[in-house]
Amino acid sequence: MDLSRRQLLQAGLLGAAATALGTVAGCSSDAASDSSLKLWYWSGGLDPKVLTSAGKQFPKSHLKSSVIGGDFKQKLLTTFAGRKFVPDITGIKGEDIASFFPDASRFHDLKSLGADKLQSQYLDWKWKQGITKDGVMIGFPIDIGPTGLFYRADVFGKAGLPTDPVTVSSQMSTWDDYFKAGVELKKALSNTYLVVDSPSVFGLVMGQSTKQFVDENDTFIGDQEHVRTAWSTAMTALKLGITSKIPDGSADWNAGVANGTLPADIGAAWHASDISGAAPKTTGKWRVAANPGGPADIGGSFLAIPKEAGDPELAFKVLTWILSADNQATAFTDAALFPSTPATYRMPAMLKGDPFFGGQKTIDVFGPSAEKVPVAYVSPFDAQVRAPFFAELADVDSGKDPASAWNDAVSQAKVAAKQAGLKVS
Amino acid sequence: MIRAAEPTERAAVVTVAPQATRPLPAQARRRSRLRRIAEHWPQYAAISPFFTVFLVFGLAPVIFSLYLAFHEWDGLGSMHYVGLEQFRRLADDPLFWQSLRNTLVIWAMSTVPTLAIALVLASLINSAKRLTSFYRVAVFVPNITSIVAMAILFGALFSTNFGLVNALLHSLGLGRVHWLTSPWGMKVVIASLITWQWTGYNAIIYLAGLQAIPTELYEAAKVDGAGPIRSFFSITVPLLRPVILFTVVVSTVTGMQTFTEPQVLFDAQLPPNMGGSGQGGLTMVLYFYHQTFDNNRYGYGAAIAWSVFLVVIVFVLINWRLLARGERAAGR
Repeated sequence: MDLSRRQLLQAGLLGAAATALGTVAGCSSDAASDSSLKLWYWSGGLDPKVLTSAGKQFPKSHLKSSVIGGDFKQKLLTTFAGRKFVPDITGIKGEDIASFFPDASRFHDLKSLGADKLQSQYLDWKWKQGITKDGVMIGFPIDIGPTGLFYRADVFGKAGLPTDPVTVSSQMSTWDDYFKAGVELKKALSNTYLVVDSPSVFGLVMGQSTKQFVDENDTFIGDQEHVRTAWSTAMTALKLGITSKIPDGSADWNAGVANGTLPADIGAAWHASDISGAAPKTTGKWRVAANPGGPADIGGSFLAIPKEAGDPELAFKVLTWILSADNQATAFTDAALFPSTPATYRMPAMLKGDPFFGGQKTIDVFGPSAEKVPVAYVSPFDAQVRAPFFAELADVDSGKDPASAWNDAVSQAKVAAKQAGLKVS
Repeated sequence: MIRAAEPTERAAVVTVAPQATRPLPAQARRRSRLRRIAEHWPQYAAISPFFTVFLVFGLAPVIFSLYLAFHEWDGLGSMHYVGLEQFRRLADDPLFWQSLRNTLVIWAMSTVPTLAIALVLASLINSAKRLTSFYRVAVFVPNITSIVAMAILFGALFSTNFGLVNALLHSLGLGRVHWLTSPWGMKVVIASLITWQWTGYNAIIYLAGLQAIPTELYEAAKVDGAGPIRSFFSITVPLLRPVILFTVVVSTVTGMQTFTEPQVLFDAQLPPNMGGSGQGGLTMVLYFYHQTFDNNRYGYGAAIAWSVFLVVIVFVLINWRLLARGERAAGR
């Protein structure tokens, strides 16, 4: 058959138009007839096996869970702004939860769905992190990130420091004692540092504080004593010369962890996988102890039910089933998600020894740590206000004068606070 | 300028039309234009996908971002009109000014070596007798290599304790440099990454320009006793001026929008997307990204984006004036 150019073009265009129409029609009918419960999470945010069993447990829900790659918060916000295809249940990362509080009306108040009855099963401080100042609960606890001190027992032994977790926990319980050990370590082994960098010390001391950078009355408190203390703790280590000044997570950090010049790191339970990833050959040489200055929390996330959810009651049932104490034990085994339910800590799944830590039962450290994390008010604008402190501390590590760095950090934080509409004295 | 031209044009139509001897009425002209469009509808339809996609994903967001720059919006709640408040905040924001300074410094540190090396490379390839296509491909490959992968590689090369660059310095008896945490070191790494990526691209453009220069000029110069260096500065550079202008403008536009390099290089350092230690690698577009997507300040982010646009315009105009004036001088 002979086709003229015009006929070919027309046919092509018709085909394209038909496809476009078909796609649009397909989308709309899909949205209208689809009664399935849609759940969004990021890779590693929930245990896929628990989600599969949740689908079987609630056959009517037709649970469809999707792993959303890339910038999760951004994709969630975009979908919210479009008000179409919003999931019925969504994950929210711990560092983002407060930024959703000003728009709490876009979510179902989980208290009105019956969350109060379950409160006693979850860690109090974690529960409170999902509730706005006005008492609206938008986030239900998934996992937490209780901190501990990871250290190389063999390197500590070579330097004449205690190697047993219980002794390390008791002898290095304060920052001062910890820094003293750092001085001994450096004296015994040249070029070996106990403290990684200044920003991480500052972040940890802030995590141990009950006050952050903004208080409940929307007032900037980043220039007050508690922040100054965290700053000067980091400066103490720097002056003692026991800070490696290597940025955490950099290529140099990986190398230092692997070759033993960075024989210790303070981090959340999940940080163990960063260490084992950077130094797989050191398996069995690491231990965990309670970190100096008391427990803190780094990371951990929440599940929320957006207002667009078709059947919020069912969504809530599925959500609470996924996050029950029993299923959190499964999630710990499969996906290393540290449970937010203290009852889980006594289950066999968590009492196993970890070969990376020479068979140590890490729950003995992280369990008590998890239950003692301080409750602190985190403002929706905290992340913006805190950023300059970390950037300036990194600059101090590369040679900036600490006093002028502090002044610059405070003045930048005040600009950020003013722009966010906070009160600045 | 365009606005000034409009009234005179309209006046011309009004005065000329009645006097014209064989006037084609405006209506008829319009109708015939419509008919021509109707006749050629398959062609218009064939080019429409680009324009549709551009309208929806290019132009509409640009216009929306201008609208956003005058509003306060967190992406979820309602928008509030704030007038010029976002721009006023920007003027008072030390970090924005630092990001502007960083961007300009990095741009200068990358553009000058990029264009200089590119010109030298291009003349070398131009005078090569064999393997010319190989050289052309080899020189262009960095431009199409994933910039994210290269940034990670550069991060490893320039790392303080175990990087190759410091190992080299050390073996020469020089001290270690904190490339990734000191303000100048960070800028050097970013600039060298940009230079690595764009030198080949510019070399290919220069090569095209070089091949348009008649060989007679070089032969005449040789007869007059000019060596290769003299003919490079007296023939090649002046005749390449329009091409150099083009590459300077393109380098300005891309250099002012430097983003991926610092974003990937200082990704691990704590405040996310803030350009690392002391914000030494904070560029304008990175700051825009940080405010918009880390802090959910869409209005403020839009204001930064439009300020970047203004800065680009200003610098392109300055470049244009400088080089165009040089050309006029050369022409005289």
